[in-house]
Amino acid sequence: MNKQRAKKPFMFAVALLSAFSLLAASCSSDDGEATKTTNADGEEVKEINVAIVDNGAMDSIEKLTPKFTEETGITVNYSFFEEQNLREIVTRDVSSESDQFDVVMIGPYEAPQFGTAGLLTDLSAEEFAGGDEDYNLDDLVDPVREALSADGKLYAAPFYAESSFVMYREDLLEAAGQEMPDAPTWDEVAAIARAVDSEDVAGICLRGKPGWGDLGASFTTVLNTFGGTWWEANADGSIGEAQVDQPEFKEALEFYVDLVQDAGQNDAANASFPECRTLYEEGKVAMWYDATVAAGFLEADDSPVAGKNGFAQAPVKATDSSGWLWSWALAIPEANENKEIAWEYVSWVTSSEYIELAATELEGGWAAAPPGTRKSLYENEEYLAAAETFAARTLESISSADPDNPGTTPRPGVGGVQFVSVPEFQAVATRCTEEFSEVIADSKDIDEALANCQEIASEATVEQ
Amino acid sequence: MKLKEKWLSLDGWIRRLPLLPALIFTIVVTQIPFVLSIYYSLTNWTIFPRNSDLVWFENYIDLLDDRFFKTAAWVSITMTVSAVLISVVVGTFFAILLNRKFFGQGLARTLIITPFLVMPVVAALIWKTQFLGFDFGLLNTILGTIGIDRIEFASRFPFWSVVVTLVWQWTPFMMLIILAGLQSQSSSILEAAKVDGASSRSTFLQITVPHLKPYFELGTLLGVIYLSQVFDHIEIITGGNESTKNAPYYIYQKAFIDNSYGSGSSYSVVVVIASIIIATFGIRLLSGLLADNEGA
Repeated sequence: MNKQRAKKPFMFAVALLSAFSLLAASCSSDDGEATKTTNADGEEVKEINVAIVDNGAMDSIEKLTPKFTEETGITVNYSFFEEQNLREIVTRDVSSESDQFDVVMIGPYEAPQFGTAGLLTDLSAEEFAGGDEDYNLDDLVDPVREALSADGKLYAAPFYAESSFVMYREDLLEAAGQEMPDAPTWDEVAAIARAVDSEDVAGICLRGKPGWGDLGASFTTVLNTFGGTWWEANADGSIGEAQVDQPEFKEALEFYVDLVQDAGQNDAANASFPECRTLYEEGKVAMWYDATVAAGFLEADDSPVAGKNGFAQAPVKATDSSGWLWSWALAIPEANENKEIAWEYVSWVTSSEYIELAATELEGGWAAAPPGTRKSLYENEEYLAAAETFAARTLESISSADPDNPGTTPRPGVGGVQFVSVPEFQAVATRCTEEFSEVIADSKDIDEALANCQEIASEATVEQ
Repeated sequence: MKLKEKWLSLDGWIRRLPLLPALIFTIVVTQIPFVLSIYYSLTNWTIFPRNSDLVWFENYIDLLDDRFFKTAAWVSITMTVSAVLISVVVGTFFAILLNRKFFGQGLARTLIITPFLVMPVVAALIWKTQFLGFDFGLLNTILGTIGIDRIEFASRFPFWSVVVTLVWQWTPFMMLIILAGLQSQSSSILEAAKVDGASSRSTFLQITVPHLKPYFELGTLLGVIYLSQVFDHIEIITGGNESTKNAPYYIYQKAFIDNSYGSGSSYSVVVVIASIIIATFGIRLLSGLLADNEGA
């Protein structure tokens, strides 16, 4: 009688525990690895997960992907992220080899670093672009290809590439009696901006939002051409002394802050590419120093300011050129188990056929085609006709960017214009640009911000 | 029953067994990660570049030198105290207003509660763009109509922009607690005071406020617990400004932007220890006052 009584609750407990664990096991979601599963009809279902930046230039990808799925049967699941978030997530995903995404969007900051660490697939290898004649690897614009490679191996395929230059409203400048030279200096640009600046229309739109890819990018190009830099380089290329306390750095920051405060847009501390684009298209600013890809939007068929714009080289001071070099490119993590499918997608989206598709199917037309990646685009008659005012200028800016020597002194890391190609730059520049953004918003003294930044940057110095 | 017999008795196990899944779940999801965090704080774990060596207390020593963390801790304290204090005062004010019957009392109460029900991210966005926004914000539009220069609220006054948003969200919470307190006053005492000729001001100060003391303490305690963890509002309204960067935001930057999990863990451990100390004092104070009240 006792034994019977003892058995019942025990079996009940076992049953309960096994039910609970079965439930727990079945609840684990398929966390998005590329799957080759079979659907109800027993056919193979191919799916990939792609992490993309959410910056307006990528809208075309989502709209045209159904064509890709039709042709190849591969379903693409997009995750759009804001730039800062994308970087966090991609860094975590790729470094921990967790394979949550099959294809990730990165740039010249991450590609060489991750590539040398062995975390990305070599796309120039035989089984990918190397053996694919249709892809035409040699058609890629050389500086862009180099920026995304390390040791001669291409680690990410560029979707679009950009440099930076000045965009201005020819009509507004003319009305104020100003003329923009083809290759201006920063002093000339500042003078024009101050002359054109009025109650209703700001002289120039400059980024002011904290973030190394926001204010950091614009400011670092100014810093470079003023003869300043973030860090010295040690003999072995590692990070040397922080140079934020040098006079050139302060000069560059003061120039930037004064220009934004005197002739810049309102609420500058919150403005980056999207905000400036809106202001420019609404006619609230007369000039805009930012990415060359913006030209495609401003001159697109559906742009409110089409046909009114002029373009000038990125302003210089002590160097010959100062435009940055950036490309949003797609990479396949080395840990990925479905590289062939992933490569099918990557090669489609970065091919010249895609560019043609985007140009003919989307509202922006040829002018808004993804620029900067292929030489053949700059020989295409239709593109040159639609992008007459800025195509040559864009290619020139990209070609004249010198990542190995962007300023007047050597830098640590493997090369970059508007960034320093070391992992520490991300955090240091994010925190420093927060300080600088406060200076722009007039809520912090410039010397305090520089002192804070020097302290932050010094934490990364490698003692020799 | 002897202890051993107690442990081995089946009756006892039948009672404990249904609680086991919940207990195991809690241990796995809270205690094990906590112990692992302490372990990580003793390493220099970063994911890019890869590092995972045991460095013992190096992270903690670096933490002591970190003056930005001290600023963040101070911001944590000032932001929490400001938001809680202002919420309690404004909440009391609304509670007093809602304590009397008037036409539409139910509707007014529901409307006042609504800000608390809004998601933090949404509340922050509403304030950043619709109220404080420069070009189209409500406040700036009013200023523009009167003829005063527009102000970039979120950029120039980041700390107070965040505190105002927090107060907007948490006042309803405080109001509900205080309202419960007001409605639990015994009407016989209030009538007696009225009959004795006490003015409404002295009734309020000498009868109502002492009665509300435990309610104030409860609201403050809960407010401090929740408001010290604010992240969404800071991220959305200011995106990482030194004057609004509180301890959780600072740790988030260390761990996820700097990708230094070892260092970030050491900061978290320090914050947890500090919170436990502060909370212990707070709870002692609260129970002490409650005991006082009951004794009185």
